[in-house]
Amino acid sequence: ALLYPSGGHGWPTHTACRDGGLEVLYQSCDPLQDFGFSIDQCSRHVKQNLSIRFGIILGEDIQELFVDVALVTKGSPFFNFSYPICEKDQPKFSFCGRRKGEKFYYAGPVNNIGFDIPEGEYQVLVEMYNENRSPVGCANATVICC
Amino acid sequence: MEPLNLKVLDKPSQPGWTGPTMAPSAACLLWAALFSAGCQFIISLDQMCTEKEVNKTYNCAYLGLREIPDTLPNTTEVLDFSFNFLPAIQNTTFCRLLQLMHLDLSRCQVNWLHEATFQSHYQLSTIVLTGNPLIFMAETSLNGPTCLKNLFLIQTGISNLEFIPVHNLENLESLYVGSNHLTSIQLPTDFPTRNLKLLDFQNNAIHYLTRKDMDSLKQATNLSLNLNGNDIKGIEPGAFHSKFFQNVNFGGTFDVSVIFKGLQNSTIQSLWLGTFEDLDDEDITLAMLQGLCEMSVESINFQKHHFSDVSPATFQCFTRLHELDLTAAHLKELPPGIEGMNSLKKLVLNANSFDQLCHINAASFPSLTHLSIKGNLKALDFGARCLERLQRLQTLDLSHNDIAASDCCNLQLQGLPGLQWLNLSYNKPLGLQSGAFTESPHLELLDLAFTPLHVNGPQSPFQNLPSLQVLNLSYCHLDTNNPHLLAGLPSLRYLNLQGNRFKDDRVPKTNLLQTVGSLEILILTSCHLLSIDPQAFHGLEKILHVDLSSNSLSGNSISALRDLKGLYLNLAANSISIISLQDLPTLSQQSTINLSHNPLDCTCSNIHFLTWFQDNLQKLEAWEETVCAVPPPLRGMKLSAVQLSCGLTAVGIFFLIVLLFLFLILLIFAVKFCLRWKYQHI
Repeated sequence: ALLYPSGGHGWPTHTACRDGGLEVLYQSCDPLQDFGFSIDQCSRHVKQNLSIRFGIILGEDIQELFVDVALVTKGSPFFNFSYPICEKDQPKFSFCGRRKGEKFYYAGPVNNIGFDIPEGEYQVLVEMYNENRSPVGCANATVICC
Repeated sequence: MEPLNLKVLDKPSQPGWTGPTMAPSAACLLWAALFSAGCQFIISLDQMCTEKEVNKTYNCAYLGLREIPDTLPNTTEVLDFSFNFLPAIQNTTFCRLLQLMHLDLSRCQVNWLHEATFQSHYQLSTIVLTGNPLIFMAETSLNGPTCLKNLFLIQTGISNLEFIPVHNLENLESLYVGSNHLTSIQLPTDFPTRNLKLLDFQNNAIHYLTRKDMDSLKQATNLSLNLNGNDIKGIEPGAFHSKFFQNVNFGGTFDVSVIFKGLQNSTIQSLWLGTFEDLDDEDITLAMLQGLCEMSVESINFQKHHFSDVSPATFQCFTRLHELDLTAAHLKELPPGIEGMNSLKKLVLNANSFDQLCHINAASFPSLTHLSIKGNLKALDFGARCLERLQRLQTLDLSHNDIAASDCCNLQLQGLPGLQWLNLSYNKPLGLQSGAFTESPHLELLDLAFTPLHVNGPQSPFQNLPSLQVLNLSYCHLDTNNPHLLAGLPSLRYLNLQGNRFKDDRVPKTNLLQTVGSLEILILTSCHLLSIDPQAFHGLEKILHVDLSSNSLSGNSISALRDLKGLYLNLAANSISIISLQDLPTLSQQSTINLSHNPLDCTCSNIHFLTWFQDNLQKLEAWEETVCAVPPPLRGMKLSAVQLSCGLTAVGIFFLIVLLFLFLILLIFAVKFCLRWKYQHI
């Protein structure tokens, strides 16, 4: 069964990357399942087109898939955005259109812009959902940059 | 067997775990006491299947079930049983649910489908087995249903189509075998294809298509074939000769010339050849497109490809196309002088990098009825008369382009007399003057949402649009003071003014709605409204739907709806606390009302409304989210469950009568005593 292994205390916190003065930790906030995620090049100077690895079981069809990202620092939100990953008239990635129940693994670029992360600790809430607003994935991440 | 509302997990014991006394519920306690030797950790889950449609549709996903719960009625037709645990399925597994039509068993860890599993399920038309590690399906495992139409075997580990038992597939319309280990699309010789409409082979390892493969499909008519994510490296010449397909998808193919060569002499309604951000592709050259001249295709999609040296010659084999989609094809312009594309009806140029609208050189596509250029990667210059040769254009989407224009839109839309549908939403500020769209007098739909509009003084930008039925002006920063803003729209049925502000946050007696008497649907949500004048909606005689949600309206504003009947009325998320007795008839004459998320008063001062609410539950939308705010003890309680006793009850009346009776007796005694005392002293 896909349930918290610790019996209700949430999924374990994983390390997405730790290197180059940057540490990214994440925890799944989907009560039904955990997921796997890692960033290939870890550095406070974030390069353009980062490569990631991502593995999850889909609880929903993803003909359309959207991601909402909320960035919080010192308790106050300072950045919010929503990005369409798969749309009917523009499926950006090869995994668009996969079905509920499929295990899916993605290793490839994320089409980000390059930027430097200022020193500090950041909380990031990432939510993914499909065309019916049904949740596909959810993560609470902590980014620590020294 | 275990009780159905319990879930047992064999997990290591927790620190401090001393025994069954820590189990979280009484039921679990009992269970744990009986079976504590066998399991170490027990979680009580009162979760049961959820009912989506009474006696017909149920969702039992993620409940860790090992069998069909007894609580499901025999009449169940649609069952989502995904993410449970059914290692083997046999004829007893679903034997009680004989009315099943749709059965979803996604990721139930199914290994075995035994003989005659669905023997008595005559109505079953869809079986979903996605994500199950199937080891074997018995020859008769799919026998029974008289009309099995859809079979999902995605990611079930199939490497050979012989795995699928063919005995009862005569009526099959769609077969999904994506994300498996298939290397060939060739169906077994006895596989019935007569009714097949969709074959989905996404994300397999199919690299070659042979004549034999394609001949196995020859009995199917109007077939759609999905080979997305297979990277086709070769097609045997003649494999598609004289074949007809509805849709063929070769998404993610590295070299599209392989496809064009292979599709010689075929007829395809819609061909999808796009690629993706995470895949490499080869630049499309003129030579690679030659094969397109040797086939017949109506609609083609090249999303995310790179074209090397786009010139008029690039399009020489596109002359018979009806639809062309070049979404995100890294285009900066379409060259002038493209010839022969008179058949093209629909052109999609979304997510490219045009500087100016004129750079698409629209004159090359004189028959175009649909044009979409949305989400341009640069701010798009609207230009002047860029589309004037598109006399037949009916639909134009220019949304999300950062278009800005100080004087819009007659010069920009010149020469588009047949335009019916215009989307300019999500752009930069547009300045509009009176009659700003008179160049396109047949407009039926105009979407300007999230585009700031500047209208100077009492002008009427939408004047002379006799056919306009739908107008979306949400978040347009409108000057709602202008009573002439919406003049000249005799056919307007739908008006969205969401997110616009009114002066003093009040809809006054004289307002912009009075010129649109034909309105049927009015959206005024999130406008910060505090009140609405009782006469504000006067003249809206055809109105059917009023959405006033997410404002700060109080109960007083309901009187503005006094003359309206049979409405769908949304008053959710306002500041309504008390609704007076004289406003209740106004609510009664509407057909559906939503009052959820209001700070409703559940004291005796609102008793008339509370009684009305409970008597009219059938009219109320989201009544389960309609709860009390005051008094504090009732906060959060559903209005439908509140029982107040205000005024005198029967018990109260009884005590009052007893009290009166006692008082009367006391009085009689007092009089008697007084009289006696008086007579004694005479």
